[in-house]
Amino acid sequence: MSGRILLSAATESAADRLCATARPVAGGTDLLVHGLDAAPVNLVDLSRLAGRRRPVSRLPNGSIRVSATAPLSVITSADVPVPAALADAIAEFASPQIRNRATIGGNIANGSPAADLVPPLVVCDAIVGVRGSGGRRDVPIGDLLVGPGRTTLAPGEWIEYVDLAPVHHSGFRKLGYRRALAIAVVSLAWSWTRPGSGPELADVRLAAGAVAPTVVRCTRAEAALRSLRPDDVGAAARAIQDDITPIDDLRASAHYRAGALAGLVCELPMVAAHRGGKTERL
Amino acid sequence: MNVNGTAVTGYDAGARLLDVIREHLGLRGTKEGCGVGECGSCTVLLDGEPVCSCLVLAGQAEGREVTTVEGLASCPAGARLREQLVDHQALQCGYCIPGVMVSATAHLSRTEEVTEESVRTAISGNLCRCTGYTKLVSAVLTAASDTGAHS
Ligand SMILES: Cc1cc2nc3c(=O)[nH]c(=O)nc-3n(C[C@H](O)[C@H](O)[C@H](O)COP(=O)(O)OP(=O)(O)OC[C@H]3O[C@@H](n4cnc5c(N)ncnc54)[C@H](O)[C@@H]3O)c2cc1C
Ligand code: FES
Ligand code: FES
Repeated sequence: MSGRILLSAATESAADRLCATARPVAGGTDLLVHGLDAAPVNLVDLSRLAGRRRPVSRLPNGSIRVSATAPLSVITSADVPVPAALADAIAEFASPQIRNRATIGGNIANGSPAADLVPPLVVCDAIVGVRGSGGRRDVPIGDLLVGPGRTTLAPGEWIEYVDLAPVHHSGFRKLGYRRALAIAVVSLAWSWTRPGSGPELADVRLAAGAVAPTVVRCTRAEAALRSLRPDDVGAAARAIQDDITPIDDLRASAHYRAGALAGLVCELPMVAAHRGGKTERL
Repeated sequence: MNVNGTAVTGYDAGARLLDVIREHLGLRGTKEGCGVGECGSCTVLLDGEPVCSCLVLAGQAEGREVTTVEGLASCPAGARLREQLVDHQALQCGYCIPGVMVSATAHLSRTEEVTEESVRTAISGNLCRCTGYTKLVSAVLTAASDTGAHS
């Protein structure tokens, strides 16, 4: 016998109550890999909450509300489309089997600097809907990220949804060793608006993964990326070096990561142009 | 839960679904390769969707339909795929095959236009150390054309 007790949360308020004394599990794609033996005896299954609400819905203020407990494959087949950056990250995530289980809530709570869903959330100014027996709070995604494996979620709190700003142009790319089942060596998400028909950009947001203790918003590069002209793009690729603090690990050296991220920035005009009319996926 | 259409009770809800399938039910077609979601040899259908049974707790499958490789024999796409895998001599050691069959059968039974790319994506979570995938992919494509699904 495993000795574990799996408590099933049938409603959100049941989840609030159960999470006060037990650890949540959703897709299990991190918990069963990293922590099952170390995990507490009591686990709360959040995976049954997904069917109770629409996985993706549009709010009156224009934001897109995405369930944090629905499997990723359910999110991308919903009738309301999610911003392109999130759709791109899900399309390249792990494998079909993992996408049928893994959730956004688990990806955030796991706290990996290489979490693929977090950079898209950052460039969509995500507000994370957190709750527990102590009540609810709305937290900007950046305020949840502290360091590898750490978040500001209090014990007993769980993530119900994320609200994404309706960005016009966005995308996500990751470099990994292969297309499926690859953890990011570096990743980059972006969003911006285009005030005119030229290369000028406004409201630029850039966020990078696997180059700092958490996913980072790259504000220096954002300020430099005033347009998609080569001089501005070059300046952004240089500026982003001051936004990041990469390290050497088994997947790549810090030096490689810095150079590869500059490369992803330099390719932004090409990627944006290639998308052409497709950018309005939202 | 129902496994291959039969109601199952008396299992440990905190155990991995993979262990319940292999040890409690004695269905040894489902294999354990890595135990961490990377290889796909433990793939089963949960309410029709391929998942890694090494990463599902048995209690999470309660009240749901589980289909293992043994259960594919009764579905037309599964039976055709099995024939084609043999005809194409697409197996070597065979360890990956139950997982490949589960992923590919799910793909065949719900995809209108099966293409080489769609097959490669559908089995991208199933590692095969022997075949190099070429014969696996052509076996799946031929099974699809038998159903009229191959474009
Ligand atoms: C083979 C494989 C490939 C992978 N590939 C990728 C990849 O390409 N990119 C990537 O970013 N990740 C990848 N991962 C990691 C993992 O799949 C993701 O981090 C996933 O999003 C985790 O979600 P989950 O629902 O499975 O989390 P779980 O394993 O259920 O939980 C993970 C952690 O979060 C907590 N938790 C879960 N849900 C909530 C919630 N709603 N509120 C609060 N806490 C919660 C749990 O207590 C646990 O600590 C991969 C994993 C595997 C096994
Ligand atoms: S044993 Fe489950 S994926 Fe390898
Ligand atoms: S036939 Fe040996 S692993 Fe696929």
